[in-house]
Amino acid sequence: MRQEAFVARYAAEWDAFEQWLDAREGSPRRARATRRTWTGLADEDMPARYRRLCQQQALARHRGYSPQVTARLQGLMQRGHNVLYRPAPPPWNGALRFVMADFPRLVRAQRGCLWASLALLALPLVTMFALLQVQPDLAYGVMSPGQLAKMEAMYDPAAHAERLARESQTDVQMFGYYIWNNVSIGFRTFASGLLAGLGTIFVLVSNGVVMGTVAGHLQAVGHGGPFWRFVVGHSAPELTAIVIAGAGGLRLGLALVAPGQLRRVDALVRAGRDGGRLCLGILLMLVFAAFVEAFWSSTASLPDPVRFGVGGGLWLLTIGWLWRGGRGVADAR
Amino acid sequence: MLDTVREVHTPEGVALRLPAAGPVPRALAWLIDLAIRGAALMAVSIVLGMFGEFGGGVYLIVLFVVFWAYPVVFEAMYGGQTPGKRALGLRVVSADGAPIGWMASFVRNLMRAVDMLPFGYGAGLVASLADPWSRRLGDMVAGTLVIHAPRERLRMAAVQVTPLAPSAPLQTHEQQAVIGFAERAHALTDARQRELADILVPVTGARGDAGVMRLLGIANWLLGRRA
Repeated sequence: MRQEAFVARYAAEWDAFEQWLDAREGSPRRARATRRTWTGLADEDMPARYRRLCQQQALARHRGYSPQVTARLQGLMQRGHNVLYRPAPPPWNGALRFVMADFPRLVRAQRGCLWASLALLALPLVTMFALLQVQPDLAYGVMSPGQLAKMEAMYDPAAHAERLARESQTDVQMFGYYIWNNVSIGFRTFASGLLAGLGTIFVLVSNGVVMGTVAGHLQAVGHGGPFWRFVVGHSAPELTAIVIAGAGGLRLGLALVAPGQLRRVDALVRAGRDGGRLCLGILLMLVFAAFVEAFWSSTASLPDPVRFGVGGGLWLLTIGWLWRGGRGVADAR
Repeated sequence: MLDTVREVHTPEGVALRLPAAGPVPRALAWLIDLAIRGAALMAVSIVLGMFGEFGGGVYLIVLFVVFWAYPVVFEAMYGGQTPGKRALGLRVVSADGAPIGWMASFVRNLMRAVDMLPFGYGAGLVASLADPWSRRLGDMVAGTLVIHAPRERLRMAAVQVTPLAPSAPLQTHEQQAVIGFAERAHALTDARQRELADILVPVTGARGDAGVMRLLGIANWLLGRRA
């Protein structure tokens, strides 16, 4: 068939398809709202028309019709493809299920990486803490005297400040700072796993060393009381979130180093998809931790039993949530 | 690899053409986005500056949202285009050509933390120069691709003249070229038309304006028009 005859025969179909796309591809909500008033190509006919168009496009390309015709069909085909194969909208009503069941299950599925990540953070932390009890001068090998002096001033038991660990900042200011700083660190801990896991390992170990140094030094110089009183509240969600971010990063690094039966890029895509979901949970945990840290941990007037009770309770809740959450729930997929 | 067009076959058995975008337009789009984000943050900081330290806290939360969520929200909600990408005619799509979803966009933007290393998107630049479809590391992990969004071109019908059968049979790609000439003839100057038609003297057997008319006649005949 000559091009002119081909175009004459099907042009009306293409125009109808194009009108349908112009009117209804943009917003599904608007398309639903105007379902009754719409008079063009019916919605239910669109997939069949799309497949017809694909066949016509293949014919046009095969028969060597001019670039104008094939380009138009190609464009219509791509637009139709985008409408038919667009991803489902995010399942907002599944958000609670994600928090309560899917996220803990996803965390437990990373068992090996999780233990490795925990070890990479906890071993340097505990080692530094123990070392500083024996040899307090070692602290100056890790942090500068200025930094340590600032830490000592922040947690000075002699200073009867209204707020713990603050100079003059307000709660909201610190809340903003903790969100910006901590969540960014969590995300970077995960993402830097792409450097064969080395980035994540570095972040975990260096964080462990710094935390161990600060805690050990303050304990050794006798400022341990205010320090522990400050950190006990938010430590549970914050430390677990960093360990989970580390597990996601290690998983990403493993996908690059040892992809197993998959192509390397496919292993990376899988680890990335799981990591992205982990990061959603980490975001929630760290925002919660920032809230506790800003509005609860710094309140100096709280009696110690309440403070340590709440801190311990949060540890139990966090571990229980991650350990038991989503057990026995049917799989969504 | 000179051709950066990736052809993906859909379930219907036809090929989607995805022209991958290189680092330069993407960097320009990123700079535009950076300027927009900077301006937005500036405006917010002026307003929040009136609220003192409370405003400072809110500003950091806004900074967090603008830094991490801006590209994700635009890419997921506006057809894979941030304002900068829209200005440059770029679009983020899945590796299979389908529109990008929230999770893929979130992952590819999380990975910017690595692509930015060691400075100024160095890792991303090296990756996109080494990759046949110029994907940065985040695109590989998220399974996405940045393409030049297809442009709507004006459709013009071929010039109508008396059809003329070619003296010798033409092959398919030759027919395509001749019809393409007739469809674009509106947009070409007379001198350029003559220049192009003169290449085909063996087919048309004439030079100058006569050659142009004969070539247009052949195109009309190939399109199926008959006197």
